[in-house]
Amino acid sequence: MLKRFSQARPFATLGIVAAAWFVLPVFAKALLRAGFYEFTAPFPVAASYARDLQYIWSLRLHTNLQLIEAGRDLERLNGFYEYSVQQNTALQSEISNLEEALHLPPLPRYRMETARVAQRDFTGWWQRLVIRKGRNFGITAGSPVIFTGGVVGRVAEVHAFTSVVELVSSPDFRVAALIDGDARPLSFQGGINRPFAPARGSIEFVPLDIAVQASAPRRLVTSGLGGVFPAGLTIGQVTGIDPSTDGLFKTGTVSLDPRLAGLTEVTVLVLPDEGVRSQPLNSPSELRSWDLTP
Amino acid sequence: MRRTLAIFLTSLILWAVLGRLNDALSVARVTLFGGGLFVAYAAFTLPLAEGLGAALLAGALLDAGAPVRFGTHALILGGAATLIFALRERLPHDQAGGRVGIALAANAAIFLALSAAHLGARAAAAGIWPRLGSDLLLSELFVALAAPWFFALQAQTLRYVPRDPDGMF
Repeated sequence: MLKRFSQARPFATLGIVAAAWFVLPVFAKALLRAGFYEFTAPFPVAASYARDLQYIWSLRLHTNLQLIEAGRDLERLNGFYEYSVQQNTALQSEISNLEEALHLPPLPRYRMETARVAQRDFTGWWQRLVIRKGRNFGITAGSPVIFTGGVVGRVAEVHAFTSVVELVSSPDFRVAALIDGDARPLSFQGGINRPFAPARGSIEFVPLDIAVQASAPRRLVTSGLGGVFPAGLTIGQVTGIDPSTDGLFKTGTVSLDPRLAGLTEVTVLVLPDEGVRSQPLNSPSELRSWDLTP
Repeated sequence: MRRTLAIFLTSLILWAVLGRLNDALSVARVTLFGGGLFVAYAAFTLPLAEGLGAALLAGALLDAGAPVRFGTHALILGGAATLIFALRERLPHDQAGGRVGIALAANAAIFLALSAAHLGARAAAAGIWPRLGSDLLLSELFVALAAPWFFALQAQTLRYVPRDPDGMF
């Protein structure tokens, strides 16, 4: 009897620990989780700073001629962007005039917060990024995250100095979308990410008359409906559409941008507090507080 | 308690190394998982309370950054540590090869248990298993390569930490 109890003692101990854990109040668990997260947060952040420093040192190896060429290319880009900024300012004032004339409620405007990526965590279970800005920069949970190629994902958790972004390729990510050139909304969901291959997602509720072939993919963009994402942001390329089992709609496959796997910098679109309305961009130096009207 | 914290410190180092490796491997869309390493050495060398404590702390470390109910990893790692502890007299834990084998088996079991816990109903989607299979295969390779180094690190760390005089088990 005593021997049998001795054999069961490890499992009895585990059972007591598990029972104690289940009856622990939720706030105590939340406190423990936050404590563990903030305790470990400096590790990926420090590593990402080291990577940035390494990058800067590698840039110092470039010759003067290469730097001159890069400067020349940047000047051309700046010229193009300044022209775009002027166009944007004119369009913003036109929107304001129309809102005023038609007595429309103002569209939400976002504050753009650029953040460096501290760590990427792309398991088969989820795909997430840790970025180096959190509550200290006013990041809010649920904010859309974008990069030059389109949608990156959505802020899932906000911590003191970091935030966690759920990637567009994550199986739990969903957003209302449109196929470019068609006004009917459909549903996009992140998919199963195969190893050694670009990420994919899927679309549902595709109208029957839409057809796409792999040789001529069509752009999938955010619809701006029922969510936080502004309209018109690229999600990916629809590469194929098949009839669904119910016969009422079609389903499709979406290829996501391969650059998502190697992101080092993203932009969070933070919705300002109610009643606060940011000013539009007037000069390139204001890029970090540029408004984006959905 | 001191030995538990010493083992936790080594787990923290392994967690940081794995984080950087997975960050670098994200371009290839593969992930390394080292759950077996977090529990194996503590379970076959330390008393139950210290080994289980170290496994629970390592699990809490993994839980903090994961989109799961807090305690999921801790309980699964704790369960694995308890099972190894209960069976350790029958396992070849005094040989280097045997220790690596235990770590490999524990790693695979923890990975599959976590997959079932994380995916739930979605586990039925057949498409996810090739990805999980490749992750598990690479993780086992990583554990086989890293286990001798990590066990040596834990053994060296424990050499500098005296045994608790009032150890219960």
